[in-house]
Amino acid sequence: MSLNCPLFDCDLIVESIPKMLEGIGLTIELLFESAVLGLTLAIILLLMRISGRWYLVAPTMVYIYIFRGTPILVQIFIIYHGLPQLDFVRESILWPIFREPYGCAIVALTLNTGAYVSEILRGGVLGVNRGLTEAAAALGLSVRQRFIYITAPIAIRLCLPAYSNDVISLMKSTALVSTITLLDMTGIARTIVAETYAPYEVFISLMFIYLILTWVIQRTFGVVEKRLSRHVRSEV
Amino acid sequence: MEAVTGWWDDFFWGSLVVVELFIVAIFLTVLFGLIGAGAKLSGNPVAKSIANAYTIVFRGTPEILVLLLFYFGSAVALTAIAQVFDPEIKFVDIPPFWAGSLAIALIVGSYATETFRGAFLGVDPGQVEAARALGLSNLKTFMYVRIPAMWRLALPPFGNHMLSLIKDTALIAVIGLEETLFVAEQAIGTTGKPFTMYIVVGGIYLGFSTIITLSVMVLEKYANKHLEVAR
Amino acid sequence: MSENIIQLENVDKFFGDFQALKNITLSVKKGERIVVCGPSGSGKSTLIRCINRLEEHNNGTIVVNGHELTSAVKDIDAVRSEVGMVFQSFNLFPHLTIVKNLMLAPRLVRKASKAEAHETAMRYLERVKIPEQADKYPSQLSGGQQQRVAIARALCMNPKIMLFDEPTSALDPEMISEVLDVMTDLAQEGMTMIVVTHEMGFARKVADMVVFMDQGEIVESNTPDEFFDNPRNERTKDFLRQILTH
Repeated sequence: MSLNCPLFDCDLIVESIPKMLEGIGLTIELLFESAVLGLTLAIILLLMRISGRWYLVAPTMVYIYIFRGTPILVQIFIIYHGLPQLDFVRESILWPIFREPYGCAIVALTLNTGAYVSEILRGGVLGVNRGLTEAAAALGLSVRQRFIYITAPIAIRLCLPAYSNDVISLMKSTALVSTITLLDMTGIARTIVAETYAPYEVFISLMFIYLILTWVIQRTFGVVEKRLSRHVRSEV
Repeated sequence: MEAVTGWWDDFFWGSLVVVELFIVAIFLTVLFGLIGAGAKLSGNPVAKSIANAYTIVFRGTPEILVLLLFYFGSAVALTAIAQVFDPEIKFVDIPPFWAGSLAIALIVGSYATETFRGAFLGVDPGQVEAARALGLSNLKTFMYVRIPAMWRLALPPFGNHMLSLIKDTALIAVIGLEETLFVAEQAIGTTGKPFTMYIVVGGIYLGFSTIITLSVMVLEKYANKHLEVAR
Repeated sequence: MSENIIQLENVDKFFGDFQALKNITLSVKKGERIVVCGPSGSGKSTLIRCINRLEEHNNGTIVVNGHELTSAVKDIDAVRSEVGMVFQSFNLFPHLTIVKNLMLAPRLVRKASKAEAHETAMRYLERVKIPEQADKYPSQLSGGQQQRVAIARALCMNPKIMLFDEPTSALDPEMISEVLDVMTDLAQEGMTMIVVTHEMGFARKVADMVVFMDQGEIVESNTPDEFFDNPRNERTKDFLRQILTH
């Protein structure tokens, strides 16, 4: 079966797509793992950031500043290429993680997204109407109870749009692991292009695959947002 | 850290390349953002669909993919064209600097489109009405009333766009641009100290981000100073 | 001397350089109904917010229901669970249904069981005459209904004292009386109440004492009849003139 396309080599497109899709498992794995780990890290950072204790707040702010102020590619390189230079890394029990590109990728993506998401969560927390936490305090709820039952549920709903954007960014960042030898979809695409000199067919098809992934993520969050907002018409 | 001595001037020149990239990219970004926002707000269905396609494609595609596509795509096209004239030519490309700045400007421009669109919509219509009632022409209203008002609303998110832009410049090293990452790789080749060198690159970018963040803070203060006085 | 359930002595409160409360001394007996009035910025909200420590006073002592208000956490939560507060902007929890709004504090603070809390909640919803709204969300209720729910929510904790911070100021006029009626009933049952309000009709009918504040000080306090008919201080007279004739 040979397709006859005027401008593009459609046979190549049909051939390449399945090959690139072999990498989708890796893409999704990277996305999922670093999203979950990153969210956990973000929650820890958030709690430190709002704790009010300077010895927790200051390091957190420095961490966030560094990870949001430097390119993620550089962060990936520092972890993958750079850490092996340090003796104590090579000798530590974590070395098996850092020795492999996959481990380095997860660490880099997690540390990076953790910084961004913690700021997003903080935005949500700050957006919670102060009167509501005061009312909870007036009823006698402890600080911890106020946070869990009042602040958190409302903050989560408030920061969902920004969080969904960050998950999409994270998905896009996974393509960078192709620079440290991992064969995700982008990595596979690059090898195909190197052999066939057909950047348009390969990269444009890959682009469509990513756009579909983006759409899936957006729709999923759209559904979640709708469910969580059913009680909202206008909030005092 | 002594390993870095001798490389400082190379890093300096690399940083200058980053600055040049950034300046070119900002202009293009603002241009694309305004065109995109204009198209979306125009009411013309064709313009709107093109603008929508633009924002969807460039916000949903990994930046590195856009870069690779632009660079290799243009190289393939140019090489093919050049070979028509001189079959001996093996490879013609758009210099990575221009391919790169165009690519990242298109990417951040798609976010800027949304920002500018939102900011234009946020301009108090009362102000515009007052301007027209005073007899200001469409163009004058646009320049003296809409743009300043829109700019104040757009500034905070645009600051974030600028931060994205400076960080995206690092990606252009992947298509061979000789900026800081390139210098780092050379330095690693001779010194064997990747950690040190990449930390230096990180530090350079952190410096740039800091300058941008501080500048945006100053600009915001300036843009809002007429509101401060009212307090 | 009959016990004072609330006792403020020489209380000052600063917000930065601004002094919101100046040397406030006030006693409230059990079962008394106090109305606090005054122009905006006079410190009336700050005063009652200090009583349940939503604001922290800088000088002087505040004793509420036998507990002195200091920075010790145990005291604060204990005090707050016995002092109910109703806010100008209702502050109902938007993500919880009405009945869950009422059940939250009894379950978390008094460790009531789900069944007990539900029973108490429904009982108070009946008291404020809107039991049918139990499973709705706050955004589905009118302002007057929301405020009545807010009162019921505070009552579910069986407080000894109820504080009201301009409870009707954010309501459309036609809904004010439904809320004032609930508050009047509450007063007639013997609840100790401090109400910051501009509703002078309510003050006349229900209050034992009217306290007038201006610029952080208690300028005058008296029984309602004396206060409205024989104001002694010039500032009081000015204020009464402004609010009673427009």
